[in-house]
Parts: sequence; C-alpha cells; structure tokens
Amino acid sequence: MSLASSTAEILAARTQMALTLGFHIVLAAIGIGLPALTLLAEWRGHRTGDPVYRELARRWAKATGVLFAVGAVSGTVLSFEMGTLWPHFMAKFGQVFGAAFAMEGIAFFIEAIFMGIYLYGWDRLSSRAHLLTGIPIVVGGIASAFFVVTVNSWMNQPRGFRIDAHGNVTDVRPLAAMFNPATPPEAVHLILASFMVCGFTVASVYAVALLRGKRDAYHRRAFAIPFTFAAVTAPIQVIVGDWATRFVADNQPVKFAAMEGIERTRDGVPFRFGFLEIPNMLSVMLKFDPNARLRGLDSWPENLEPPKNVPHYAFDIMVAIGTGLVLLGAWALLSWWRRRDLPRSRWFLRAAALAGIGAVIAMEAGWTTTEVGRQPWIVYGVMRVDQAVNPGSGLTAGLYIVIAVYALLAAVTITVLRRIARAPGTAVGVATGGTTDPDPGTGTKTAPGPGTGTETADSADGHEGALR
Amino acid sequence: MSVWADLSLVLILAGLTAYLLFGGADFGAGLWHLLGRERRLIEHAMGPVWEANHVWLIFVMVLTWTAFPPVFAGITEAYWVPLSIAALGIVARGSALAFRKVVPEKYAVTFALSSLATPFCLGAVAGAVALGRRNWLSLPALYVGVLTVGLCVYLAAVYLTWDAHREGDATRFRAYALRAGCAVGLLALPGAAITGVHSPLIGVSAVAGVASLLLLWRRHYLAVRVTAALATAAVLWGAAATADLPLASSAAPDAVLRLVLTVLAIGGLLLVPSLTWLYVLFQRQEPDRAESTRA
Repeated sequence: MSLASSTAEILAARTQMALTLGFHIVLAAIGIGLPALTLLAEWRGHRTGDPVYRELARRWAKATGVLFAVGAVSGTVLSFEMGTLWPHFMAKFGQVFGAAFAMEGIAFFIEAIFMGIYLYGWDRLSSRAHLLTGIPIVVGGIASAFFVVTVNSWMNQPRGFRIDAHGNVTDVRPLAAMFNPATPPEAVHLILASFMVCGFTVASVYAVALLRGKRDAYHRRAFAIPFTFAAVTAPIQVIVGDWATRFVADNQPVKFAAMEGIERTRDGVPFRFGFLEIPNMLSVMLKFDPNARLRGLDSWPENLEPPKNVPHYAFDIMVAIGTGLVLLGAWALLSWWRRRDLPRSRWFLRAAALAGIGAVIAMEAGWTTTEVGRQPWIVYGVMRVDQAVNPGSGLTAGLYIVIAVYALLAAVTITVLRRIARAPGTAVGVATGGTTDPDPGTGTKTAPGPGTGTETADSADGHEGALR
Repeated sequence: MSVWADLSLVLILAGLTAYLLFGGADFGAGLWHLLGRERRLIEHAMGPVWEANHVWLIFVMVLTWTAFPPVFAGITEAYWVPLSIAALGIVARGSALAFRKVVPEKYAVTFALSSLATPFCLGAVAGAVALGRRNWLSLPALYVGVLTVGLCVYLAAVYLTWDAHREGDATRFRAYALRAGCAVGLLALPGAAITGVHSPLIGVSAVAGVASLLLLWRRHYLAVRVTAALATAAVLWGAAATADLPLASSAAPDAVLRLVLTVLAIGGLLLVPSLTWLYVLFQRQEPDRAESTRA
C-alpha cells in the first residue's frame, strides 16, 4: 500500500468529501421531510377539497422534484468518491458494509420510481391513487437515510469482521457490521435532524413572506404546517442528542474529550460552553457525580487524537442552535395554547425566518462534530485516513473544480426554487406571492371556468401554464 | 469462483446492460436536444423515468464494491479523473433537466453537453478496463468512449421515434435514427481492428444493427427498439467478455454475497412491478390531452 500522498493531497481529498457530503446532506434532509409535508397537504386537500391545500401540495411537489433531482445526482457523486478518493478503504472494507448500501440502493430505487410516478402522474391517476403513490417515497427516503447512516456508524464503531495476522479482513458478518452499537443513536439523531432541517427551512421561506405582509390563508398554512412538524421534533431531538452524546462518551471517549474540550484527565471536570464555565458540571451531567473522573485528550498519543477545537466549537454551535429552536417552538406552542394562533410579535417571525438557515448550520455542525471527531481514523481504531486515500496526484486541482461546480449548482438551485415560490398560483384565486394579489383575503374562492380546470391545467408539464 | 460470486457477476452485467439501454438512451437524447427541434418531446419522454434509469449505475457500483471490492477500488483509483468528470457530468445533466422543468428557456446547452461528456468518460473507462489499458487517453479507450456516445445517441433516436409516433409525427426521429444507425455502424466497422477484439458478439451486433435499419425503414417502431437494444448490448457484452479482471481472487466471502443477493431478490419483488408500472403508465396515451390544453 503506497502512502506517498502528501498532507496537502489528503487534505484536498478530505475537503472534497466534506464539501460534497455537506452539500448532499442538506438536500437529503429536505428530501426526507418534504415528501411527507407534500403528502400531508395533498391529503388535507383531498379530504376537505380546500384549494389552498391543493395549491400547497402542487407547489411543494415541484420543489420536491427539483431538490430530489439535485439530491440524487449529488448523492451519485459520493458513490464515485468512495472509490476515487478512498480506494484502499473500499478495497478492504467494501465487503463489510456493502450489504447496507445494497439495501439503500433498493430503497432509493423505490423512491426514484415513485417520484417519477408521483410528479408526473397527477392526471394519469385518481386523486386517491396519486396520494398513495407518495407513501413509498416517504418510506423509501427514511429507509435510505437509515441504511446510509449504518455505514457511518460502522466507521465509528466497526464490528462484524476480524483482521488476521496478514492484515486481511476475515470472518465478515455484514449484519453485525450494519447493526453496530452506534447505529441506533446515530440513525435516530440524523432522521430527526432531517425532519427539523426540512420543517424549519420550508417554514422560514413563508416566515419571510408573512413578514412582508402576505398574511392570507395560503401563507399562514404554508408556514404553520412545516413549522409545527419541526417544532414538535425539536424537543425529542434534545433527548436523542443526549443519548447520542452519552454513547460517544462511553464508546469513543477521545471524540467526547474533543467535543467537550477536555484537555487533561482529571476529577470534577467543569462544563465549558463558549465563554461560560460551570465547575464540576460536566462530571455531574455525564456521571451524576461532581467528582467523577473524565478522560482528557492527554491520555491518547497526539497522532491518534482528533483536532482539539473543531469538534468542540462545532458541538457547541449545534447545541446552542438546537436549544434556540426548541425555545422558538415552545414560544409558538404557548401562543397556540393560549389564543389558538401563532405569536403576533414580528420578532417571532424574524426568528422563524432565521430558523431555517440555523437548522442547516446545526446539522452541518453536528456532522462536523462526528466526522472530525473521528480523525485521524476513517475506520475508528482500524484504518487511518492517510492509509485510505488515493495516492494519485492532482486531487488538489480536482478539488478546485468541484468547488466551482458546487458553488454554481447551489446558486442555480436557489434561483430555481425562488422561481417556484414566486410563480403565480396555478389554482386560480389562490394568492401565492410574487405578483400582487388583487383581492387579498379571498384566497380560497373557487376557480372560475369549466369544471375541474384547476386540476387539469397542471398536467405532466403543467409548469408551462404557470410560468410562460 | 463460488456460485454466489458468479451470480453477482451476472447481476452486475445485467445492471450495466440496463444502464446502457435505459440510462444510456437518456444521455444520447442530449445530442438531439442540442439540435433544438424536439426538446419538448425529449424532456416529456425522459421526465418521469430518467431518475429510475440512473439508479442502475448506483446498483452496478454498489454491487461491484460489495462483491468484488478490490476490483472496484482498482478501477476507481486508476481512472479517478474520467470518473470524476463523469460524476460532475451526471450532476450537470440531472440538475439541468430538473431546472428546465421550472425554467424551460435555460440550461439547454449544459444539459446537452453534459449528456454527451458523461457517456464518453464512462465509455472510455469501460474501454480501458476491458482492453487492459492503464491509460484512458490511449487511442482504443478514446475510441470506445466515442463509440459509447454514438450508441447512446442512436438508441435515443430509436426510442424517441416511437414516442414521436405516439404524439403524431415520427418523420423527423425516423430520419435521425436511420442516419444515426448508419453512422454508428460505420463507426463500429474498424472496431475489431482498433481494439483487437474478435468476438462472435460483433456479428450479433452487426446483424441486429442491419435488422434495425430495415425495421426503421419499414416503420416498425416498437420492434426496432428490441433489435437496436440487442445491437447495443452485444457491444457491451463483447467488451465484458474481453475484460481480464482478477474476479476470482477478489470476490467477497459467500456469507456477504448470500445476504446481498437475498436482499436483491426481495428488493426485486418490490422493484420489478414498480418499474413496470412506471414504464407502462407513461408509455400509454396521455388522458384527455385535448381537454387539458383547453383548460
């Protein structure tokens, strides 16, 4: 195995993986949650016949179509990178975790097939059948997230194989690899994070619209549905996050030491959060004993410990934002409980408008915590990153090209999504922004014209009616 | 090699064939899209199915890295440059197509060029692997890359002829398909000399290719889909038969392969009917087309 790669080339490979994965993870998160939100709106529309819900479902389905496509292709890049950037990792361990990817592949296939049927089948199927074709998308999305995360949790808690005297992998047990101890906390944590990211980002779009005075039924519901979805998830995520943290403390103590910034092993470790320091608090939180001893980074050789600052700050950022999102949700729930309405304060909407980007940052920070906290290992305790990397030269040049392409892709994706949000409604009479609504408040009146005109206008290529 | 490894290899080849026949045709449509005459028809035909067609590539990659990990790693390590270009091409193609659904007046050139660059790179890698060349920029590998693009373009024209026929007028795509068929046939002629491959499958491909031209000429648009697919697939199979990869020594243990193949078998029970429904649903005449235009 050639280890000729320079530090710069390894850093380039890591940066490229981080960038492309960090990009994909946002789309994947929205891809898990948005079909569920779309179906919820479609189901309400189906039950009540209310055109506001139908318009919401149409609009969100269009956004789902764009985001799913970009998510699918950016996910494909990751499959390539597994081999082009980390060939020695794949050569040795592809057999150990491959089964999980095979399962993920099937779930993704189901998702892609039904996405095609759902997005293009509005007037080829009965409204009931159309609603049902959305369900495999939701199930497939959650299932693929689960299977993919099992591989990452395996990298943190490698199980299901042995290394023989010659360094070869033997005695492979793929199911034991898949259901390693890190899988339950990591998978639940990530799936809930996806719900939060999706709910808060979608809600933030409409929070901005509400701040701009578009307070009709369409925008209020478009805000309330995803916001409630995310706000209900947020407190559960606190409990799951606590579980995940305790798991890391018990099973990857070096990562925990980096996350909490414990430099030296000692008794009665203080809790440090930003500039805040509470004596003995970390020992209390973790062991329920103010004098409990916790291991610090000094108990590992320096070349086998992660960087000190990145996991610590990333973890703090995630926790801080997560706490803020829980409080924001509590504000809304309190107001709903007292007056059956969202808070009147513009500060609430301003905070909600920022919650979308906040949730994305929190997710990226959490991902950074777990990935950088695993360094220098690609497979914890078994294979280092520098042993896995492609020794070919030119990775740095490749990175610059990838950065340029992804910057462009991000910019265009956002432009296109804004175009979807601004287009006038296809269900006639529903005010959806962009153009001035001539008659606000009557957003729910039914369409003029013959029969089911609003249904058929948005056929397989119905965007033409709306956008030309 | 164990029977499980053999079975895995068959499935990888089947997946590659499906990717070439379905995903490849989606890429080939890029050239016809570039000509600009039938963009609506092309996007209409691809829209519902391209993502499912694309998953065959994921299927092939995952199965290869699970069943023959060192082979996968050897290929991706050696050919990371063309594979990375192909990956970015896949990103550009898929995104551009999805964006065009919302903004129909833009991203046409990106769509078309990435549609052609991707199969070229993948074809060149396939050629280099099959012919045992380390360098994807060697003449035989580049030739296979160009031939792959040609086959994709030809398949696209053949498939779209039937779609155009259902929409009312197949004249233009019939002409495209006939010309593309002749061009790819000519392109393939020196193939044996350039690549040094002598396989009976070359004969199969040639016979199916000539039959396709006749069927197109006589306007059998559905039957020609089958013969054109056979002519194309035979090229892939010929290349695969030539490849000399250390499969036996790199196969994953049977315990892994048994699990993966069981998973795929169960998955197949879900996938085959779903995929069939997808294709049947969108190959049918569109309901109430006239009515929807009126509304």
